[in-house]
Amino acid sequence: MEQGQKIVGKEPIIELRHINKHFGSVQVLKDVSLTVHKGEVVVIIGPSGSGKSTLCRTINRLETIDSGEIVIDGAVLPQEGKQLAALRSQIGMVFQSFNLFAHKRILDNVTVAPRDVLHTPKKQAEAEAMELLRRVGVGDQAHKVPAQLSGGQQQRVAIARALAMHPKAILFDEPTSALDPEMIGEVLDVMTELAREGMTMVIVTHEMAFAKAIADRVVFLEDGQIVEESTDPKAFFDEPATERARLFLRALEH
Amino acid sequence: MSITALLTQFGDRYLAALWTTYKLTALSFILAAALGIVITVMRISPIRPLRIAADLYVQVFRNIPGAALLILLVYALPYLQVVLSYFTCVLTATTLIPAAFCSEYLMSGMNTISPGQIEAARSLGMTFLQMIKNVVLPQAVRSSVLPMTNLLVATMLTTALASQVPLSPTDLTGIVSYISTHAVGGVTAFLISAALYCATAVVIGQVGNLIDRKVRILR
Repeated sequence: MEQGQKIVGKEPIIELRHINKHFGSVQVLKDVSLTVHKGEVVVIIGPSGSGKSTLCRTINRLETIDSGEIVIDGAVLPQEGKQLAALRSQIGMVFQSFNLFAHKRILDNVTVAPRDVLHTPKKQAEAEAMELLRRVGVGDQAHKVPAQLSGGQQQRVAIARALAMHPKAILFDEPTSALDPEMIGEVLDVMTELAREGMTMVIVTHEMAFAKAIADRVVFLEDGQIVEESTDPKAFFDEPATERARLFLRALEH
Repeated sequence: MSITALLTQFGDRYLAALWTTYKLTALSFILAAALGIVITVMRISPIRPLRIAADLYVQVFRNIPGAALLILLVYALPYLQVVLSYFTCVLTATTLIPAAFCSEYLMSGMNTISPGQIEAARSLGMTFLQMIKNVVLPQAVRSSVLPMTNLLVATMLTTALASQVPLSPTDLTGIVSYISTHAVGGVTAFLISAALYCATAVVIGQVGNLIDRKVRILR
């Protein structure tokens, strides 16, 4: 897909400033700073254990940080409480393991947060949800429960569920890693479509061809540090500037 | 006395006793479920003093014998200037104890919920209580129908404590002592009560199985 015509804004939506985090004595994020602008698709890649999922999860504080600052659309992310919930509602998240609510029908999975958090009237929430479910291609599954859907379908519902909150950005934490190979494409297609429509996205992924095609910016993370950052994904994947990125990409080829 | 003779003479009283037992059971179970839910939410809340208080509640009321609790309510509370009716004393005892068990069953029901669903709820901007209401409790309740069925039966059997205080009309166990003092009921009088308890328990069990099959969560 060509990303050439797309215009990325100058307005920062997510700002990470000097983030440090430890798991016990291991430092998993080392002074990480990253700004994601409106309409930008930032893809985070790196070896297993490099901290890329953790970085993604700190953005809405599913992981706490030891020091640093996270700013969402101009507001500093608070530690806990109602303000944190309010800011979280503005940032969507799609997980590796879908995490749909097992007891709720697909339609209710999508409407529950708009109705309870945003106080959208039931009819309107359901109409919007149906529209979103159709958009991601699972409109005919609306009255089933998650366990009756394939992994690819569940992940597309999860994307619709995130979209239903009208988020300012969506975080994707390895969204295709738990999928059977034949279902990866359908999820990536939906994400590509979102990117084209101008959604601000942060994507942690192992799908390098997809990363190269969709990214406005590639962030290469290793040992909890940003080693290389590039706004020219094609150049990065063909000819990375750092030796470590080169080694990582070469290792993937074999 | 034969069963027929007993039923002819005391049939009405058995019916009244059965009604007392059912009334106590239903009220206790509803109150215990409500209290059990509150206790459970406290046990998983982010506020530590609430967690400690609720854990303590469960430890105390899961481990206190019903008769001991009833004695405390009837004989000790008046020293604190609290005088409850006998019915209220029994109802309190048969509510406080099942509530502790109810909470234990809900806690194990919650263990069936994947942590990912909690993260999803939080990432959608739900507050703690919204998450409890929309995601945690509905699944915990639906996963604990069978233990709750057992709890309902156990609650009914616990209401036999009512036989230890003067109630009018008395309960299914109290009626046995009544008959023994007014006629020669012997074991037969007790067998009638036992049969009524058993029949009710069987019905509760069947209904519980039906509900469980209907609400079980596909995974």
